[in-house]
Order: sequence, then C-alpha cells, then structure tokens
Amino acid sequence: MAYTKPIPEPDPVNRVFWEGAKAGKLMLPRCTTCNRVHWYPRLLCPFCHSRELEWIEAKGEGRIHTFAVQHRAFGGWADEVPFVTAYIDLHEGDRMFTVLRGVDPAKPETIRIGAKVRVEFEQASDEVSIPFWRVVEE
Amino acid sequence: MPGELSRAAAIIGAAEANEIGYPATPKTAMQLHVEAIKNVSEQTGIPISRIDGVFSAGWSSQLAEHLGLHPKYIDTTSVGGCSFEMHVHHALAAIHAGIIDVALISHGENGWSARATGGRGTGRPRGAPDPWDPGQQFQAIYGVAGAPSNYAHAMTRHNYRFGSTPEDFAHIAVVTRQWAMLNPRAIMFSKETNPGGGPITVEDVQNSRVVAWPLTLLHCCLVTDYGGAVLVASPEIARSVKTKPVWIAGAGESMGHSNMLEMEDFTATSAAASAAAAYRMAGMGPEDMEMAMIYDSFTITAGITAEMLGLAPRGEGFRLWKDGHAAPGGKFPINTNGGGLSFNHSGMYGMQLLVEAYRQLSRTAEDGVTGLPGKQVNARSCIVNGTGGSLSTTGTLILVAD
Repeated sequence: MAYTKPIPEPDPVNRVFWEGAKAGKLMLPRCTTCNRVHWYPRLLCPFCHSRELEWIEAKGEGRIHTFAVQHRAFGGWADEVPFVTAYIDLHEGDRMFTVLRGVDPAKPETIRIGAKVRVEFEQASDEVSIPFWRVVEE
Repeated sequence: MPGELSRAAAIIGAAEANEIGYPATPKTAMQLHVEAIKNVSEQTGIPISRIDGVFSAGWSSQLAEHLGLHPKYIDTTSVGGCSFEMHVHHALAAIHAGIIDVALISHGENGWSARATGGRGTGRPRGAPDPWDPGQQFQAIYGVAGAPSNYAHAMTRHNYRFGSTPEDFAHIAVVTRQWAMLNPRAIMFSKETNPGGGPITVEDVQNSRVVAWPLTLLHCCLVTDYGGAVLVASPEIARSVKTKPVWIAGAGESMGHSNMLEMEDFTATSAAASAAAAYRMAGMGPEDMEMAMIYDSFTITAGITAEMLGLAPRGEGFRLWKDGHAAPGGKFPINTNGGGLSFNHSGMYGMQLLVEAYRQLSRTAEDGVTGLPGKQVNARSCIVNGTGGSLSTTGTLILVAD
C-alpha cells in the first residue's frame, strides 16, 4: 500500500541519517571532541561547539521518555487516528520523536514511561525509509 | 536592591480592539492592530505621531508604514506568545538608554477570522513549510499538528514524575472559567455568549472531546480574534499623562529550546530563568506578588509556569487553582480576564496578559456588569509570564501599581 503520510526530504546535513535508515541502520551524529551524541543533526556539537563530528551506528534501542495519543491529525495521518506519539531516550544519549508501535491507543494507561523500545524502519518511497519504535517489553 | 532598569519606564495605557473574539464579519490583523492603537492613543492622550519606537511580533515595518510613522527603534521579536512580554523588556532598555521615550507594543491577530477566510488577512506569509527544517524532517513526519499535539507530552510526563493527574489540572480550566464569567468580553462569559459558556465542572473538562490525550478540549485554549496595544513610556511622560502609570519593576526573558525535540525536562520551562532575572531586577520575590497573569495555552502550561515562577512547590502548581486561591475571592488571583482558556486566545496571547495586568494595577478593570461584582482585584503587584512555541520561550514581567 502506498505511503500516504509526509516523507522527509534528506538535506546536506542529515543525508547520512536517511541513507542509513534506507539500509535499516539508525545512524546518529557524535562529537569526537566530547564524545556526546546529539539529535537532531547539527553543523556543530550543541554541547561543546566542536565541529569534529562523526556518524555512528546506534544499537537502535531506547526507552519511552513521555508520550501522547493523537486524536486529531491532518493529511495521511488523519486516517490513522488515534495513534501514539512518543519521545524516546536513545541508548547512546539524547532524544528522538516517533510514532510508537506495539501499543494500544485506546488504553494509554497500559503504556509505560521507561518501557524499552526498539527501532524498525518502514519503506515510505524508493529513496526513503522512516524509523518507528516498537515497545519490546511490558 | 533593585537593578538599574527597574522602574526606568512604565506602561501608561493598554487597550483592546473594538471587536474581539468571534467577530460577525471577518477582520484583518491590521484592523485589530489599528483599532487597539487608536484606543490606547485616546486613552492616554498620546498622539500616534508621538510614538518613536514600534514593537510587534514580526510585523513592525508594515505596521509603522500603515501608521505613517518613521520610528527610531524597530523591534520585530516574534518567538511565540511571549513576544510581547519580551517587547516590554526591550522597550524598557531602549527607553533607559535614551533612544526613545514612547514605545508602542501592538498585536493584531485574526485567529478566528483567518479560519473563515482561508487564512486571509493574517499579515504573515502562509507558504509551505521548509522541507529542510528539522521540525519538518524529524517531527512533522510523525503526524503532530498544532500545539495540543505537542503540549500533551508535557502533561503525561508531569503526571508520571509528580503523581499529578489530568483531573488536578482540570481545576485550572474550572477556576479560569469563573473569572471569564465576570468578563463580558470573554467568549465563555455565559451560555448566551457561547453555547459552551457559563460554569463548568472538573467532570465537564474530563468528559469533553479528547484532542491529544491526556488533553481534552477544555484543557485547551480558544482560537479567536484579538487586537491589543500598550504604550510604554519614560517616567517623565508617565507622570504627565491622564492615565495611571504601571511601573515595570522587573523584566526577564529566556528560552529552553525552539523545537520540543530539544526540551530537556518536560515538566519545566525557561520561566524559571526569566522569572529569576525579573525578580532580581525588581528586588522582589514571589512572596511580594499579589496576583499573576500566566499564559494558559493549556492547563499544563499554567500549572508548570506557576511552579517556575516560585508561586508553588515543584509538582504542585495546579494546587493554586484546586485549592481555590486563584479563583475570584481567593487570596492569590490568577488570570482575572478568564484566560486563554475562556476569555480569548488569538494564537499569541501575551498581549492579552499585558492588557489585563495594566487594567488590574491601574484600577480600570471595569468589566463588572449589572448584578456582577466585576473582576477588579486590589493587587498592587502582578507577575506576568508569557510562554511561546512548544513550552519553548518565556518572558516575565513584574509590574507594580503607582
């Protein structure tokens, strides 16, 4: 089935991330000066302001930091309400936004902050695959 | 000891557009601006031609041109609903520096009319979002749309961290409605002004339609038209006009992030920093405040902000409302106009905060109608806090009566 929701357009700063996603890898930017991972991709480290940055392949694991259930959305997402959005604390550090899988939007009380999640990728077009996160433990 | 800028300028007048809320026929943002500006000029006796600094959220050159002005100081700070509190801060500094002596801070926004006209007359471009913006690439692709979809994440985290509940925050909507019922200009003044108006209960709030769980509709602000304008002037001018001055004792601004992806603590905002700066400038503390005007885009915004301003312990901001202190007749009135929740919220609500704070401290909150006591309280100091973006940016003012 065609992917009807917004598809990101890779730009010069984050191209490596989207190339990784297409290959099923979660790539994250890391500063080689202070060794901290940051998200979203920057032109310099937001922590120590070094421009010595590299890309690392992440484990693809994290934990739910907080979440919400969206009952109102536009475009392709309107067909999927309600759905659960969440901020994920990444194993390597910093935080990513996503739509959670493996949860019941009708029962938000069963979704647990701190629950372990794992990344998976959905092919949205020939060029772009999008990361989503799935709850992997109760 | 107060800082150098404390009381270096005063708000000398504050006025609204003639028609706000849900106008019968659509209005442009410029109409809302100009009505408010004419009204504040008449209120103070300051001719428009006397204005030498123009401050607005992103629209100052168009506005100055429309007014036929050639200002010496132009500020277009536009970082969400707190922009106007920041404008007061900037105007204070510009007046203290001697660059200008009469600053116009104006806002016109047709949040309601724009819906009716397909986005016309807003005064700002409505082009497609930049696909290379990080928010588009890493947030919008997941279906978040509009403020409630973002702010809901903060409520979930506050509930988790402090053991609070959405019902606790629902009290904010209930109490704020009580104030709206004293303000005939409020959308939710009564069942006559709006089918959803009049008194509400915690159950009403919790049983209203879910927008973004845990936020239901009545946890969310209105979308209306609004025009508001204030004049900030030097002490010499403040002493010479027919209106009462309200002194800017303290001012501060800060930001935590722009995109919620960068929000470190979902239960805290930069209001802690902007308030600290304002208190320091004023030489005052939370215990010296007698009322507050707190941006309530959502109940969670107001609750968290009360904590950040030092008005309540961490995790317990909602108690000011739940325990009745913030309500009409309570010991610490908050959002006496009926708030963004029940009075008026055009999109960027910081101007509504300023207008009400001026009215309260100048004893001109004259909105009482037949059989009602009116909403004037007897506070001599008011802390005003605007919040912009996605709990992103904050501007805090400490205003004191003459």
